[in-house]
Amino acid sequence: MSHSAHVLRRAARSIWENLYLHSVSVGVIASALLLVGVFLSVQFNLNRMVTDWTRDVHVSAYFLPDVPEQRRFAIRERLAKDPRVAKVVYVSEEEAQDWLIARVEGVSTALAELGPGVLPASVEITLVDGAVAAPNSFVDLLPADEFSDVDMGQDWVARFNEFLRTLQLLGALLGVIITATALFVVSNTVNLVIYSRRDEVEIEKLVGASTSFIIAPFLIEGAIQGVAGGVLAVGGLWSVHAVLVHRLQNSIQIGVANEMVFLPPTWIGLLVAAGLVLGLGASTLSVTRFLSRAA
Amino acid sequence: MIRLYRVSKEYAGVGALIDVSVHVTKGEFCYISGPSGAGKSTLLKLLYGAIKPTRGKLLINNIDMGPAKDRDIAHLRRHMGVVFQDFKLIPRRTVAENVGLALEVLGTPREVIGRRVAAVLSIVGLRGRGDELPLSLSGGEQQRVAVARAIVNDPAVILADEPTGNLDGAMAIEVMEVLQAVNLRGTTVMVATHDAGLMQRFPYRTLRFRAGRLEAS
Ligand SMILES: Nc1ncnc2c1ncn2[C@@H]1O[C@H](COP(=O)(O)OP(=O)(O)O)[C@@H](O)[C@H]1O
Ligand SMILES: [Mg+2]
Repeated sequence: MSHSAHVLRRAARSIWENLYLHSVSVGVIASALLLVGVFLSVQFNLNRMVTDWTRDVHVSAYFLPDVPEQRRFAIRERLAKDPRVAKVVYVSEEEAQDWLIARVEGVSTALAELGPGVLPASVEITLVDGAVAAPNSFVDLLPADEFSDVDMGQDWVARFNEFLRTLQLLGALLGVIITATALFVVSNTVNLVIYSRRDEVEIEKLVGASTSFIIAPFLIEGAIQGVAGGVLAVGGLWSVHAVLVHRLQNSIQIGVANEMVFLPPTWIGLLVAAGLVLGLGASTLSVTRFLSRAA
Repeated sequence: MIRLYRVSKEYAGVGALIDVSVHVTKGEFCYISGPSGAGKSTLLKLLYGAIKPTRGKLLINNIDMGPAKDRDIAHLRRHMGVVFQDFKLIPRRTVAENVGLALEVLGTPREVIGRRVAAVLSIVGLRGRGDELPLSLSGGEQQRVAVARAIVNDPAVILADEPTGNLDGAMAIEVMEVLQAVNLRGTTVMVATHDAGLMQRFPYRTLRFRAGRLEAS
């Protein structure tokens, strides 16, 4: 429709005529989203690592020496039937000793001197993925009078998860503050753009322009700014990511560098969408305020 | 066409227009005259819907302007041309773009706008000047651009508030001749002015105001 053609032309022209102000807006939106994006990236990667770690988590339960072998097998069977358990391996005293001797040089003579039964027999339990969340629920399957020690390998993972949740909360707070600040700054630059064109708005009203005709270009400008800011932020984020991976690869922590990934497409899309909402929101705010004052 | 029945307009309790009743018929040319502060601009603002009457009834094309919404007023203005003393052209836009704005608002296609603007520019004696910027024109020419913008959508009525106030004699006459020509094509024209010489040279019905009251019509 020719209405939308006029509107697009007016928006493009306004961007051109106020290139400096629009650049400021785009820069502010890009910076804000870059900050949020870096935070999201860090969190995303930490989350991923934790998920990887929890996948290898075992529960090691060490038998008291006087539990008869039959009983140990029975416990292993019972554990194997539990839905939370992916795999159970029974490790006898001898196997434990062999395992240690194979890995630690010179330990065999020391073990020989100490005699048998230094290393306890154990069950090594691998959990199914979801079961990690509630490690303590295994206590019922591992009665205290038969086990000397239960090593819940994921204790620290749980603590790390808690740390991640705190980080998430902090991130959300930071995100809100950054977004609000950006909204404020951008809405003020939009104000300047509107102010520089107030004569135009007045004349448009005099020739009978509808409200939508008057505000549409401003909203389109806001949307374009927002998307441009979002795309810039994604570009910046990609650069930061590439530089970081490169640096880490050149230093010792090759393992960490290989594990770092860029945000998945949905998150990138959300970041750009956030830019759109920001730009559109700021211009809507300014233009409605301007029109209500002018009326 | 335009009907006022006992219209008053007060600013903070002070009457700018007091108890005005008047009827302007379709195709008429009439002046709104009176000294500064008499209420001329106030009357025109009421007519193009920038302000609402405090009391009384104001009908334009049988639309009651009292309760009219912003939307109704916008629609009404599409059949109205308004001209001001200070021209109100957009300095960043060419002459053709300034004139075309009144059609853009209606969603008129670009090619049609181009044709209409060219036609109207030759009516006001500015044929071929469409690509110039307003500030490169003389005052009289700028005001004729404003008149071109006012008539480009074939309005039923033109309201002009001291359209010659910023112009010297010769330029004022140029503008008045254009307004007269537009009136001859059937458009109602109302011109607020306190220029007695002009009213003598182009004699028409005169609504004379003093301190907000209609003295003679
Ligand atoms: N927005 C306003 N607020 C308060 N008083 C106003 C306003 N506009 C006009 N007036 C007053 O109303 C009276 C008529 O003004 P106006 O219609 O502009 O006169 P004219 O155009 O004939 O010079 C004047 O006394 C003026 O001071
Ligand atoms: Mg006046």
